Amino acid sequence: MTQTVQIIILGLSLGGVFALMASGLTLIFGVMGIINLAHAAFIILASFITFGLFKYFALDPILSIVIVMPVMFIVGVAVYRIFFARSIADPNKRGVTVLLTFAIALVIEGTLGFLFSNIYRSTSPSYASSAILFGPYYLPEAQFYATILSAVILIGLWAFLQYTRTGYAIRATMHNRTAAEVVGVNVDRISMLVFGIGMALAGASGAMVSFLFSVYPSKHWEFVAILLSLVVLGGMGSLLGALVGALVLSVAAAFVSSYYGPVWSPVTFYLALFTILLFRPQGLMGKKAEF
Amino acid sequence: MSSAESALSQKSALGDSVASRRFFIAFLLAATAAFPLLQVAFGGLNYWLHMLLFIYMNVAIASSWNIIGGYAGYISLGHNVFFAIGGYAAAILFAYHGISPFISAPLCGLIAMSSGLLIGMVTLRTRGPTFIISTIALVLLTKILLDNWRYVGGANGMSLPLLDMPVEFVKLPFYYGMLIIAVASVYLSFRIRRSKFGLGLRAISQDETKAEVAGIPTRFYKILAFGLSGFFIGTAGALWGYYLTYLSPAIFLSILVGAKFVLMTILGGRGTVAGPVLGAVLFISANEFFVSQFGATELNLAATGLLLILVLMFFPEGILGTLKQKGRLPKILDWD
Repeated sequence: MTQTVQIIILGLSLGGVFALMASGLTLIFGVMGIINLAHAAFIILASFITFGLFKYFALDPILSIVIVMPVMFIVGVAVYRIFFARSIADPNKRGVTVLLTFAIALVIEGTLGFLFSNIYRSTSPSYASSAILFGPYYLPEAQFYATILSAVILIGLWAFLQYTRTGYAIRATMHNRTAAEVVGVNVDRISMLVFGIGMALAGASGAMVSFLFSVYPSKHWEFVAILLSLVVLGGMGSLLGALVGALVLSVAAAFVSSYYGPVWSPVTFYLALFTILLFRPQGLMGKKAEF
Repeated sequence: MSSAESALSQKSALGDSVASRRFFIAFLLAATAAFPLLQVAFGGLNYWLHMLLFIYMNVAIASSWNIIGGYAGYISLGHNVFFAIGGYAAAILFAYHGISPFISAPLCGLIAMSSGLLIGMVTLRTRGPTFIISTIALVLLTKILLDNWRYVGGANGMSLPLLDMPVEFVKLPFYYGMLIIAVASVYLSFRIRRSKFGLGLRAISQDETKAEVAGIPTRFYKILAFGLSGFFIGTAGALWGYYLTYLSPAIFLSILVGAKFVLMTILGGRGTVAGPVLGAVLFISANEFFVSQFGATELNLAATGLLLILVLMFFPEGILGTLKQKGRLPKILDWD
């Protein structure tokens, strides 16, 4: 019993971070209808920036979010302008757009690998190696901070979408792009903004990934497959779905990892993905998507 | 009268183009089949044999990928799974039962094809981006399974004995094997393109809902196309593992391998018969040049990605597709 609860605690504590990692992905899909296969590559890029700040300026990875998020926002806006602004409006080009994000992921991975070599890296702030004990249970301090921070950012995102005019316009665009355009929403600008926000969210999660996991450039494939599986489970384009999917699958993966060994924990996500595709392709909370 | 005359002249022009195309293809076949004679006569051409057989293999792979990715429009980033299945099936049969991959290759193709039919039943329930995701997950899942399967050496891979032949001839069986696979797969692609099945696949790529309404058994067609596209990739994998004498999940199942399948086909022009052939020849040659100049580093990965970006942004129809749109396609390359 104690062990079961412990596994659930560890699973949930990673689930929050996975939810943050997936939030940008699902937001971008919701507004633009494209799956950004480079999302995890951008997360790794943000981890490397955090790592650089930590190594050369001794900046705490959590504090560095203040720098990494705006930087990644600008990167996102630039990437959107260069690659997606023209092809986004045309649904026939969406298959090609996904391939484009795939190619961007290859470029990021290759460039990072070339510049910094494909070795394991992680930042090591003091809290990365200590744990909080309460009763018979423990929680690594790093995961505790990461979970809280993810929750704060996700609540902030939710409030932004719910209570601001821009957030209202974003939700309208997610709901029906054409109708939003008809009533005067500048969908192009909204798309650009959302891509920037998505990348900023990737930046924040990348900063946390830098002390939660050891990262190397080619790790992003594993991450992106995990993110996509929980986004598909929750329903593409649904933020709440991404959160639920992240929590459910992280706990499941924690159990698999504990009983069968950590090698098999990613398999949880892939098998979940195929199971969902087989029985409920639209996910738990997604509407039936027409591609 | 004039219309009849122009129709007649058009017909004879068509006859000319068919004849020139036939001549071109016959010439290609004769030249590729006769090339090893130079090696027998003079020797020292092992590097060229290697490059050519590598190109043939990729011609086969690109033409096969084109069946599902080009004709049906379902972009799969996970076709290297079939490559791995073929390679490992042949290696197991060879290492544990002593059956040479040259004999088992068609069987390995069938194994890859049956896996494709089964996998297709699951992944082809989705369209568009979700399908692409499922193919990536497939690669990662297969890699983890092979990494942990001790019978085939896990992540360390398995070694196979060398083909016992003098060094100047050892590449020839592989050369002809890959040549046969390449020709057969291009022929299959051609026959599919001309068939009712191929027409159905192209209707699916245009508008799947309408295709279904028009009475095309879309689900059956898609699964069949997915399976068929696995056959020659599996066969090529069987020979390639033996040729390398070493198999590991990292060789067959990196994302980059699957990405190159896609890039070659798109570069040449997906949905055409000659496109994948041209794409494979150009891409492998360019890649070889790049690797020999700059080394097979991470830079190669970045360059592959960059090339893919450029092609997608400026020539999404590929070389042949773009030429065709402009009406400048050389007749000898119009194999549809």
